[in-house]
Amino acid sequence: MTAVIAPVAERTGGAPRDVQRRRRLPLRVVALLYVALLVGIPVGFLFGKAFSNGLGTFWHQITEPGAISALELSAKVAAIAVPVNTVVGIGAGMLLARRRFFGKRILDLIFDVPIAISPIIIGLSLFLAYSRIGWLGPWLLSHGIMIVFSIPGVVIATMAVSLPYVLRSIVPVLVEIGETQEQAARTLGAGMWRRLFTITLPAIRWALLYGIALTLARTLGEFGAVVIVSGNITQKTQTLPVYIYSAWDQDFNDAGAFAGAIVLAAISITVLVILSILRARERRLRVDIA
Amino acid sequence: MSISLEKVTKRFGVTFGVEDVTAAIPSGALTAILGPSGAGKSTMLKLIGGLVTPDAGRIFIDDDDVTDVDPRHRNIGFCFQNYAPFRHMTVAKNVAYGLKVRRRPRAEIAARVGEMLELVRLSDLANRYPAQLSGGELQRMALARALAIAPRVLLLDEPFGALDAQVRAELRTWIKELHDRIHVTTVLVTHDQNEAMEIADSLIVLNHGRVEQEGTPTELYDHPVSDFVLQFLGPSTTIDGVAVRPHDVVIVPAGEGTPATVTEISTLGFEIRIAITLQSGETAWIQQSRAEFDADQVSIGQSIGIRGRDATTSPVGTRLEAKTADMPADAEGALRQSTPS
Repeated sequence: MTAVIAPVAERTGGAPRDVQRRRRLPLRVVALLYVALLVGIPVGFLFGKAFSNGLGTFWHQITEPGAISALELSAKVAAIAVPVNTVVGIGAGMLLARRRFFGKRILDLIFDVPIAISPIIIGLSLFLAYSRIGWLGPWLLSHGIMIVFSIPGVVIATMAVSLPYVLRSIVPVLVEIGETQEQAARTLGAGMWRRLFTITLPAIRWALLYGIALTLARTLGEFGAVVIVSGNITQKTQTLPVYIYSAWDQDFNDAGAFAGAIVLAAISITVLVILSILRARERRLRVDIA
Repeated sequence: MSISLEKVTKRFGVTFGVEDVTAAIPSGALTAILGPSGAGKSTMLKLIGGLVTPDAGRIFIDDDDVTDVDPRHRNIGFCFQNYAPFRHMTVAKNVAYGLKVRRRPRAEIAARVGEMLELVRLSDLANRYPAQLSGGELQRMALARALAIAPRVLLLDEPFGALDAQVRAELRTWIKELHDRIHVTTVLVTHDQNEAMEIADSLIVLNHGRVEQEGTPTELYDHPVSDFVLQFLGPSTTIDGVAVRPHDVVIVPAGEGTPATVTEISTLGFEIRIAITLQSGETAWIQQSRAEFDADQVSIGQSIGIRGRDATTSPVGTRLEAKTADMPADAEGALRQSTPS
């Protein structure tokens, strides 16, 4: 983050740089302390705890069948939810940014629901809709489709909570860049799909990647909605966060919980680091405002 | 390739629409759509380009009815007001875009892009990104991109709008030369009458979404069909409710013509502006050349007479002449003034 802020600060006129630096110092200390207390120190302790009994224990915990199964399910769910929500997010984003239609405000609002309300409410709603006692559940069951307490339910719950992130990342950029590049491509003969893939998506690529990264993080981390819909069946419907919760709360397996948490945290942090490296390289290679 | 619009209507809200527009744009010419802001100029251009669909009426390009043809199949070159550069592509890739869409062979694309960049003098900047170009360079890139596909017509929306005065003048001359060289039917939108008069072979003046008049710059300047056209194209002053060109008002000895008093004289190099007050107390102004001024020798506070210039040398002057001839000898002109812009 400092790498992004520094060049801007250098350009600001007014007081000499060392004076500016001294003025900014207290603010910096407060900001860093705040972040450290909320995130840094707890996560640090987590890393310390997970490796406190050595790498062997850590490895033993994450290769345990329940952990492997949970990791696999999380990966599968992400492999479905992230692409689907990316496509839906792009489609809905184009619709909201480029078109006027009846019900636009309602669609806009619906995409905020998963951010605004607790995931547990989404889990309960899905349960009501698709379980044996729900509206659609009995009909689906009579056709041999089981959603609640099975993997489809986990996928649906995850898709529901991670729905808005691509859309919310790209819409402001779509609005800002405007429609003229797409119109220019159109007058040059490009059809709808070509315009999307050669003009629009490259123009919003960073916002899109950011949205996908957030979707992935949310998908891997989702707990509340999934724990209700999945029924928390060991080695069957446990995603990584649900596995961590079970290990901690029901199996009293602290080491297993910490090890799982480290894997989850490491994946998310890796995604963010890759994204920021790509972005920095893009900045170095060329002047680009996108 | 000629373009014609037949009874085309497009309504938006209060402004920017066009209403029952019929116009013919001659083949190979450079035509300017001219009018105040909100007159519907850009809408008319976008209707030709297909970026806006009309509520009623038909649009023809070279006798083909293109009203329902998607812009991607109209084979037009469109330059947007903000140039709409593809920011993630180099200058060369921008120019190549339309040719790639048309699946031309790689070698042909390279040759054509080179040719186009040469034409717009951007060969040295072929591998730059749009963010590294100036406004004038972006404008030329947009032109090269539009021209690369050998369009039937070239449409330019306020092509000089966002440029500073010097670049504007250069690019104006350059576009005129370019057009003389490639002769593609070109339509440009502008709100600047000097720009339009200088660059265009024919003009279409729009006001409130309707065509006020179309014709060559000289026709419109000399034979405006309305006060609006006269006032919009070039300097004007209003004497007794009649709009005339200030250089079509001549000074005659006191006692002849309409009586007036000289209130101010400004010398702007070759041009002299003489502000006058009529007996009604209202003001107007006269534009004279140095030679005319030296011959008339008027000074501030002097009482003079004014009348319209001879009809044979100045068509617009007859407007005032006809009016003063109708007036009783002692009539006082009610004067309104309109300053040139």
